[in-house]
Amino acid sequence: MSMTAPDLDRLRGVAAPRNHDARTIAALTANPGCARRGVMDAAGVDKDAVARHLGFGVPFGQSQFAITRGNTFEAQVKADGCAELLTLLRDRLGLEVPEVAYDDLGAVGDNEGREVRHARTRKLVQRALETGEGTLFDHPLLRLDIAGRPAYLEPDVIAFQLGGRFHIVEIKSFAVIDGQAEADQVAAAARQSAVYVLALRRLVAELGHDPVEKVAHEVFLVCPENFSNRPTATPVDIRPQLAVLERQLARLTRVDTIVAQLPEEITFDLGEALEEAVRTVEARYAPECMSSCEMAFFCRAEARACGATGALGRSVRDDLGGVDSVETALALAEGVLEPSEDLAETAEQLRLAARLRREALAGVA
Amino acid sequence: MPSSPGAPSPEELEARIAELRTAVRRAMAAGDRQAARAHRAELRAAEGAWDEAVLGDTALGDTALGDTALGEPAPDETADDAPSGERPAPPPPPRAAVPRGLVPVRERVHQALTLIGAPAAPKLIASVYAAFLPGQLPAARLTSLRRDEERSFRSAPYARPYYLCAALTADLLAPARGLLTVSTWPLEQRISGPLSARTDFLTAAIRIAEHAERRPDSPDVQRLLWRFAANIPGAATGAVGTVEPGALIAAARAELDVHAETDRRQRRRAADRARAQLDDAGRLFGARLRAMRSATGTTDGEDDR
Repeated sequence: MSMTAPDLDRLRGVAAPRNHDARTIAALTANPGCARRGVMDAAGVDKDAVARHLGFGVPFGQSQFAITRGNTFEAQVKADGCAELLTLLRDRLGLEVPEVAYDDLGAVGDNEGREVRHARTRKLVQRALETGEGTLFDHPLLRLDIAGRPAYLEPDVIAFQLGGRFHIVEIKSFAVIDGQAEADQVAAAARQSAVYVLALRRLVAELGHDPVEKVAHEVFLVCPENFSNRPTATPVDIRPQLAVLERQLARLTRVDTIVAQLPEEITFDLGEALEEAVRTVEARYAPECMSSCEMAFFCRAEARACGATGALGRSVRDDLGGVDSVETALALAEGVLEPSEDLAETAEQLRLAARLRREALAGVA
Repeated sequence: MPSSPGAPSPEELEARIAELRTAVRRAMAAGDRQAARAHRAELRAAEGAWDEAVLGDTALGDTALGDTALGEPAPDETADDAPSGERPAPPPPPRAAVPRGLVPVRERVHQALTLIGAPAAPKLIASVYAAFLPGQLPAARLTSLRRDEERSFRSAPYARPYYLCAALTADLLAPARGLLTVSTWPLEQRISGPLSARTDFLTAAIRIAEHAERRPDSPDVQRLLWRFAANIPGAATGAVGTVEPGALIAAARAELDVHAETDRRQRRRAADRARAQLDDAGRLFGARLRAMRSATGTTDGEDDR
């Protein structure tokens, strides 16, 4: 691993490393099989710039309306010294009335430097662990080592301490209607929260306390309730996401094995050879990438060009295990191609599907 | 100075207007009201000349119409509202005239803050103003207020009877984000410790409910009170959305009793430190930290909580 950092720096070329945030770290777990994303993220390559250079820029980023809505709701919940949040925590968690201390870690004085803020976060967390002082910690700045490089996490989150145990409170603006929220959104929020929980646990461990005991694996998702603007809090168990994340991060530090197999002179510098360099590292495109990865448009074009089954969706790729291209699949289905031993079963199913389709179409005619 | 027979160009007039504004401000700061009045008369004349030079005859009908609709700017408006920095203020576009008798923004904020009696965020100030006082106070107009006040104080200390200034964080004595206070309050009241966000909220609830008791009920007031009552245990006794001010006061007092002592102690310590360490401007607008000092992470306030 110690060998990795210089290699990764060379991969990135002259550009400054791009910092991870909880979003990008969470996205790492969304497509674990993608070597391209793994390598580029580990090297801190600005994927957006690369994609734009290749002519596959993302035409629009996050929706401006969504961002505004999110900020407004967050401001509302935090207004007047977190009045609404305190009410929620008192109702749902039995937070005691005296526990109202609020520390804003968003800036130290008028200094918003990351090191300063992290130092202060660390100090207050330590104090809370030792004396139980402090209840709400707004905008704590946490740090997580990603592939040997510290990444600062700029969280829209409140860490809240109750009885010497920390909980993460994530404020999201999607509605919980009748106790139900959109599964995708909850999953994304849980993945992001898992990153914060992990980072907070690392910090607690560094300070010499038991991380599992001191940081709860249950996070509180604060969302608007039904069709109103009134916040409601839902506990979400993020142990699965935490496990995935830990595995992913461990795997990310083994990114050197992938790098070792790459040619010596390869670099992601914006230049003539960029496209070739990007193509050298294998991608694993799935339609879900569109919502989480800047390279998605490039990978999609590539996957379509070579007729990769992954472009049709993850379930198709899994059903056709071992058959990489659509062309091969069609040939197998029509019996033009004789399947090898390990593909016999897949080929059988494909032929069956082809026959059913023929019969169905014949019935219509 | 009225326009000379040679009819000066608009540029010349703008320079002259800027010059006169500075003169008015200087005179006010020095307490020389006589000179200020004289300069202001000149300023009015120069502005009139500017209107004529830029808008000419065609605009005269418009302006007259606008004047009848909006009224002329209150005579004291410019002296109070003009940003008091070194940069020359642009001449006011004639159409943006303010209705007669309207109180300047800082005056309105002062009224609302006096009513609240605790450090408050622009949003709360705006809703309190809307509920109890005439007219509107758009929260967006409060954003630059503190900076303007600070600039004014630094260029001419204590020239105004009060300043709208920052709340100071208890640990670093730095300006707390998004909170406005009045300079005439005791320093303890302007400190914001870890518990202060809550105690200020409760204090504001009590003050506003007391004020509401003295006035006829209105939907705006009810809405404002509900905002407090919904988030104070035991305050919302009646139907959803209706608040009995007496019940709100009792509930807020009960919770305030829990926090008040600790909060007062923290505030007093911070205030003592502020008196010892900061100069006048620092006490009003917060300590400016240099990166060096805060980077060490040690502050005097952290340990004596």
